[in-house]
Amino acid sequence: MKKIMLRNVLISAVLSATSSLTLAADGITIYGVKSVSGAFASYGKYADMGSKLAVEDYGDLLGQSVHYETIDTEGNAGKAVRKVQEAISQDNARFFDGATLSSTALAIGKEVNKVNGVFITPAGADELTGSDCNMSTFRWSVPTYGAIRQTVKPLIDKFPEKKRWYTITPQYVFGEALLNNAKAVFAEEGIEHVGNSYHSLKEQEFSGYLTNAMAAQPDVLLLLNFGSQSSNALRQAVNFGLKNQMTILVAWSSGLDQLQELGPDIAEGVYFGAQYWHTVDTPMNKALVKRVKEVYGMNPNYPLAADYISTTVILDAIAKAGTTDSAAVAKALEGATYEGPTGSEVIRKADHQVLKDYYLLEGKPAADMADQDDYVNIISSGKSFPDESALTCKRS
Amino acid sequence: MSLYLFQILNGVGLGMIYFLISVGLTIIFGLLNFVNFAHGAYYLIGSYLCFTVVALTGNFWLALAIAPIAVAILALITERILIKRAYHLPHTYHILITLGIALIIQELTISIWGPIGKSVAVPEALQGVFQMGNFFYPKYRLFVILFSAVIAFALWLLLERTRFGALVRAGSEDTETVSLLGTHIHKLFSITFALGVGLAGLAGVLAAPIRGVHPFVGVEVLGIAFVVVVIGGMGSFTGALVGGLIVGLVQSLMTTIWPQGASLMIYGAMAFVILLRPYGLFGRA
Repeated sequence: MKKIMLRNVLISAVLSATSSLTLAADGITIYGVKSVSGAFASYGKYADMGSKLAVEDYGDLLGQSVHYETIDTEGNAGKAVRKVQEAISQDNARFFDGATLSSTALAIGKEVNKVNGVFITPAGADELTGSDCNMSTFRWSVPTYGAIRQTVKPLIDKFPEKKRWYTITPQYVFGEALLNNAKAVFAEEGIEHVGNSYHSLKEQEFSGYLTNAMAAQPDVLLLLNFGSQSSNALRQAVNFGLKNQMTILVAWSSGLDQLQELGPDIAEGVYFGAQYWHTVDTPMNKALVKRVKEVYGMNPNYPLAADYISTTVILDAIAKAGTTDSAAVAKALEGATYEGPTGSEVIRKADHQVLKDYYLLEGKPAADMADQDDYVNIISSGKSFPDESALTCKRS
Repeated sequence: MSLYLFQILNGVGLGMIYFLISVGLTIIFGLLNFVNFAHGAYYLIGSYLCFTVVALTGNFWLALAIAPIAVAILALITERILIKRAYHLPHTYHILITLGIALIIQELTISIWGPIGKSVAVPEALQGVFQMGNFFYPKYRLFVILFSAVIAFALWLLLERTRFGALVRAGSEDTETVSLLGTHIHKLFSITFALGVGLAGLAGVLAAPIRGVHPFVGVEVLGIAFVVVVIGGMGSFTGALVGGLIVGLVQSLMTTIWPQGASLMIYGAMAFVILLRPYGLFGRA
């Protein structure tokens, strides 16, 4: 009896494995590397919704059905790499998008490149399209260079009398990149950098760092952290009355979802850098907003918009290449121009960076909000990217 | 006022919050010998109930009154249905059961309130700051220090000066003897569990205007609570108070001395205490 049961189990396992291989061979699958659980789930869940919707909207491609599979990174680079390796070796996965944290994106980019796959990420560290660039990795979001140039510089122009800036920085690759770029702008503009407090990636209590900032008596407090850390740092800064004492800039906000969390009382008068805002007046963005409202009953936020366009861009490139050979698809992506949510966007061939706008937003008072998501005014927008001659990306 | 003096004040404020977070955990362990890995999840419920009450009524004080009691009642129900069946089992079962409860609470929170965090406004009467030289200290944080001190004193009175407290202390020494002397030990266990968890809910309410509310905060809170309890000694009320203050002061002072290592040094302090006193400052073998 036991032998028969064991045989049945083995047969079922073989049939199951065979059928999954058949499914994989029958369609084109995009693998979304998203932090749908863990500390960064509030980002990953919307990113996942964006990719799913993009696949749903695309329909068939090259006569094949298009599928979407989520790989949950759990907000952990090690787990993300292991799961991506499994998808590559077991499912022959080649097309990936997502990754919330720079450390995760850097590690995944290297893994995908080993099999000449394609990986588009919204992560922030300059290395992704800089010193650690490779043939497979593309980045939709403006990197730290542009995020700082399009926030710090306009704010200096707006408040030329505010010469003393203090920074609070998470001590990992993304934070260091933002800080180095901020220091470069300070040096160019004659700004006095009166101090910086590093904090760990796990930190959620910022009263001590804010006390350091108070002691330095800056004119501007520049927060260089991200996600729940920047929300808590800002919330606590407002608790400590710093909004009345100095101008506060969150250089890398996650946009709408973060403003929904903070609310207008905290956001009012604070400046935010953002990759995307749902009221940006471009044809593709208007269509995206309409579609997301239809399907999810909400305005698209940054993770949703970023991963929607990233997924769509991969599918467009497969169509352009006319093949699912990932190396050919990567080639098709190089230099591609398309209408994205921020307007006309170009994938620069030299470093695989998408050239797109970055926004400086200012929080509105609750009384001035036209609807429940009307948290900010767009103060300025523009593109800032290092010249090709200055790129550190060297690919063979 | 010097930077370091201000960081000490800041550290005391943090320490009192950490005391509130961890005292329930230590009381439950002390009497019930039960390791509650769902402690952070109950804190999470307290903070979300606070958010909901404030969103519906605009009244933080109502949230402060209702939410901890609601969390305690929920704890009582959980204890009656599930937890009490596990008291006699080894600690590994306690961990498995309470981790399961924590995951259920976390996912339910996401289902009900969504994955994005929320903010709770500081009550109007406590908005604003006190200025001390170049520094500003929020009135609300000062209120939290004073309120936590009152709670600590009330808890001390309850545990040291009442019949209930005497039974809890006796029960933590020898459950069987207390039971043989006519005390309904299971009722005592239930009330103690609800009290400990209700304190986690209270901490969630008080911390909500400072930290906001977020579905994944439970794990972070649990980590801090265990560090405090290990430093102070498992089962010791005084240990939770002293441990909380030590962690708060270390964290706050280190943000000036070595900012990037501030979080790490909390664990450094714990390791140091374990090396000197393996059972914690006020713990017993």
